[in-house]
Amino acid sequence: MIRSDLGNRQLLPAYHNSVGWLVMLFALCTCAFTGCGNSKATYKPNDLHAASLTREGSDLEPRGVAKAASALVEQWFGSLDAPRWPSEILGGELEAVRMDSVNRCAGPVGRGVDKVERGVYRKHCVSCHGLSGDGLGAAAMLLEPYPRDFRRGTFKFKSTPIGKKPTREDIHRTLYEGIPGTAMPSFRALEESKEFADDIDDLVEYVRFLAIRGEVERRIIALHVREGVALDETSEQLREVVRQVVEKWSSASSDQVTVPESPEFIHSPIKNPQEHSELMQKGKSHFESELTACVKCHGTSGAGDGTSQDYDEWTKDWTILAGIDPKHPSDWKEMKPFGALKPVLTKPRNFHWGAYHGGKSPSEIFKRIVLGIEGTPMPPVARAQNGNPGLTDQELWELVYYVMHLEDRS
Amino acid sequence: MISDVKFNFVKLWAWLAAMFIFPLIWVGGLVTTHDAGMAVPDWPGTYGYNLFLYPLSTWLYGPFDLLIEHGHRLLGSWVGLLVIFLCIAAWKSETRTWYRRACLGLLGAVIAQGLLGGFRVVLDERTIAMIHGCGGPLVFGYASFLAFASSRDWKHANASIHSKGLWRLAWILLAATITQLVLGAQLRHALPGTSPVGFMSMVHLHLTFAGIVTLVILGVYFLVRTYPYASEPGLRAPANALVGLLILQLTLGIGTWMVNYALPWSETMPSLARYVISAKGYWESMLVTAHQATGSLLIAFSTWLICRVGRRQIALARKPDSRNIQVQPSAAVKL
Repeated sequence: MIRSDLGNRQLLPAYHNSVGWLVMLFALCTCAFTGCGNSKATYKPNDLHAASLTREGSDLEPRGVAKAASALVEQWFGSLDAPRWPSEILGGELEAVRMDSVNRCAGPVGRGVDKVERGVYRKHCVSCHGLSGDGLGAAAMLLEPYPRDFRRGTFKFKSTPIGKKPTREDIHRTLYEGIPGTAMPSFRALEESKEFADDIDDLVEYVRFLAIRGEVERRIIALHVREGVALDETSEQLREVVRQVVEKWSSASSDQVTVPESPEFIHSPIKNPQEHSELMQKGKSHFESELTACVKCHGTSGAGDGTSQDYDEWTKDWTILAGIDPKHPSDWKEMKPFGALKPVLTKPRNFHWGAYHGGKSPSEIFKRIVLGIEGTPMPPVARAQNGNPGLTDQELWELVYYVMHLEDRS
Repeated sequence: MISDVKFNFVKLWAWLAAMFIFPLIWVGGLVTTHDAGMAVPDWPGTYGYNLFLYPLSTWLYGPFDLLIEHGHRLLGSWVGLLVIFLCIAAWKSETRTWYRRACLGLLGAVIAQGLLGGFRVVLDERTIAMIHGCGGPLVFGYASFLAFASSRDWKHANASIHSKGLWRLAWILLAATITQLVLGAQLRHALPGTSPVGFMSMVHLHLTFAGIVTLVILGVYFLVRTYPYASEPGLRAPANALVGLLILQLTLGIGTWMVNYALPWSETMPSLARYVISAKGYWESMLVTAHQATGSLLIAFSTWLICRVGRRQIALARKPDSRNIQVQPSAAVKL
């Protein structure tokens, strides 16, 4: 018997010591890490916006302002687990979101006794976009580009002009297709499965809800800081903000730009090398023209190696607009405690890879050229309409053709 | 001493228990990957049914998250049954008292895991899910130890050299793999409100420990090939297996990063630039789950190494002429 063995009796304490040490290590690690977390989910006040607005010429304490604004918005739009629609302000006329979908997406993940799945946003989106849709999810710092902050109400890939809100279909397209080369996945598999078929549509509604809520929050912070409007639930000026923001989202589909019918050469495979060469030559001349100024960012070869470099609007919002130089860490780091992430320059697309963030189809590339990419340095190319100078639709399609065929070079 | 019965039921049940805990961990990992922990809102029953009487058609043809969560529970029950059989067999035929007690300990650990899983559901608490997720691989390591302790090598191990260096390295490896597991669980079970800075720190720690585990495994690999360990049969197998697992795990780790966060150098290669992550896609889910499951295997294989080295330590200490062998005095006292 091992127990009766002298040598083994001396061995056993060694085992016990090691096992005990391991148990302690495990307990320590578990307690240390889990103790840091708080499983109660609440909206995060927009400290960064308040800090950028109060940075110069204001005595207001940014966190206090952000907290008060968040509390007020919560009265109108409800909590994370129990969202509501401010019908008392909107009078039931403006229904920019479907609240049954919002309710399904909100709250913790799980199925109820009715087997209906809830918490769809936390299941699929929260790790990057954050509970409040602030783009400050747990994994935000690992991603390039950073996850989108919905609260600005700015969306990149859409079918509406700069300054207008995206349509439901625009957000749906990004969710369905994903964004190549980034952490934004495609949720195509959900729509193709029977039990999760409604998830994308419901998520679209929730993203709209978070964007509306977040923009209202931003604008009432701005009104409070700049114009001294009291953060009072009964303030008509603040209620008007809610109406304005919701109105913009409600009318998004009417702002949609229709893509003209594409010419045959866009879709048909290259049959005539001479025709291809001519189209490429025309497209290249548009690409290099001053009117489009594509080469400034995308480079003469379209490899994304142009000379112009800039930050996106989400970064400029709290840096340049707040008097901070994003290039100097000593400057921007003062905003770090408020949730600022290291400013990163936008990367113009390298067309040789054939990876288009906003979609690969000719009509999507057409939209990116004509409408620009909101929030980024990519401007809309002027379209020749009503006597205004710009590219005609035919010329724009030639440019689309050129961009699409740059991929073949690699 | 292991009993000399014709058929060793203890060994059978011990190995079966360990072998079934691995798929249990895999399915549990799938539950985490698909965030399906609350797919069944009640416990211990399933939607009001007794766990074992839940209609098969609703389970198999229902939503995927329900399929894996209920499947995880059923598999857990099956593992519990196997461990009960192990305890009965050990009580009837095992002569080693510590082993019998250890079997009871395993039963307690499996029950505790089941309770943790239950509380996670009843309280809808993600933190408990994280502890449950850490506990699973530890139970797997424990069950693996009992399986190894019932093996032929345990019975017949012999040693002519003292392996203090390897012994320490094996324990360091086990500690590092467990820490790595806890860190990984932190990333997998991150609370919705976790700050990006906190998460980033955890990622850095996870990567650091990946480096430590790599170095220790390589250390073990080269140590068992050098004098005096090279002459010791039985040490190379766990070392080789650990290196194989390490290569697999590092590959899976890179893959996991890619399907979760996209690679930071995605713009340098056309294929990476064009790659679109498929949310909850089959291969993506399997890859992430495999990374977690291989982490559990690393714990089990570290345990195997400890068993092999430790058993030789014991054999050496039991030798009547062990004092004549080159043993460091301080180590001999410890042993």
